[in-house]
Amino acid sequence: MQITLNKKWLALGVAAALTTTATFVVAVEDAANKPMIAPKTMADALHLVMDSDRTVYTRKIVNRLAAKEKVITASEHFDDEKALVLPAQMFRFGAEMVAKRAEKLPDVNFSYSLQSLWPVNTQNAPKTDAEKAGLKFVAENKGKNFYTTEELGGTNYFTAIYADTAVAPVCVSCHNDHKDSPRRDFKLGDVMGGVVIRIPLES
Amino acid sequence: MRTLQLSLAWLLPWTFAVPAVGLAENPAYLQLEGANLAQGRTIWLGTCEGCHGYGTAGAPIPMEKDDWKDRLKKPQSLLYQHAIEGFYGPDDTMMPARGGNTKLSDADVKAAVDYMTALAKHYQQFSAKP
Repeated sequence: MQITLNKKWLALGVAAALTTTATFVVAVEDAANKPMIAPKTMADALHLVMDSDRTVYTRKIVNRLAAKEKVITASEHFDDEKALVLPAQMFRFGAEMVAKRAEKLPDVNFSYSLQSLWPVNTQNAPKTDAEKAGLKFVAENKGKNFYTTEELGGTNYFTAIYADTAVAPVCVSCHNDHKDSPRRDFKLGDVMGGVVIRIPLES
Repeated sequence: MRTLQLSLAWLLPWTFAVPAVGLAENPAYLQLEGANLAQGRTIWLGTCEGCHGYGTAGAPIPMEKDDWKDRLKKPQSLLYQHAIEGFYGPDDTMMPARGGNTKLSDADVKAAVDYMTALAKHYQQFSAKP
């Protein structure tokens, strides 16, 4: 069987293929930049990633190597003691790195932090009314999240707060025994603070 | 008709076997008959509920059928041992010894385990969701 291609039809085919490809690329770019995700969905998704990463670190690194196999310890003073950072410290370092890197990415405009009504470090106490109300709500309504909007510096923000719970004896002992802790009656499963995620509502 | 009668006959014993549901104290959790389970419920609410009521740190929730389907096949003595001594799960989850409450005696922990397994058995039969 012999296939012969007329040059005119070949050129038309190539042109059609190129047009289709170009249209597809433009459509993908449009879809990528079209605002489609609600702030609450975005905050929930971000928290899911943060919480999962922290859980994996707690289980696969701290629980496995420090608590179970006892090949290394985990300590607040990780530098001096050549130890693993605590899961809450890992989370906080991540938040600080995100804040720093986001300064160079104007389109990536959100922030998150770990705060508490009973902070060991006073820098981690709530500052805005929304933060104070949200941390109180998640502490008193276990299993529920807090969502609100607030205006800060002339910008409207969507603010979500998720409970931060004592998941291991080390969380409880560290907070109850710390010299700077304002509360010393925590027990496992108690809400110790909250993760605050803030997303601007306009660019 | 016979099918309906058989179905009702099957359900009848369950209406007695199913725990007495009370609304006192914390209505979110069933009150079960018997002094041991009543004591277990009090201990469970004070020490275990904070994690097992919400699945915190991977704690199995007694109201979730799938969480307990395989655990209920294990000997009760093994569940006691895990709760008293502590236990690392296959996915590196951690059950702390005595739920982190060192004031609990072995008998206290066993009563709490009895209450939690009774709850889990109940919810193998009946959905926790309305």
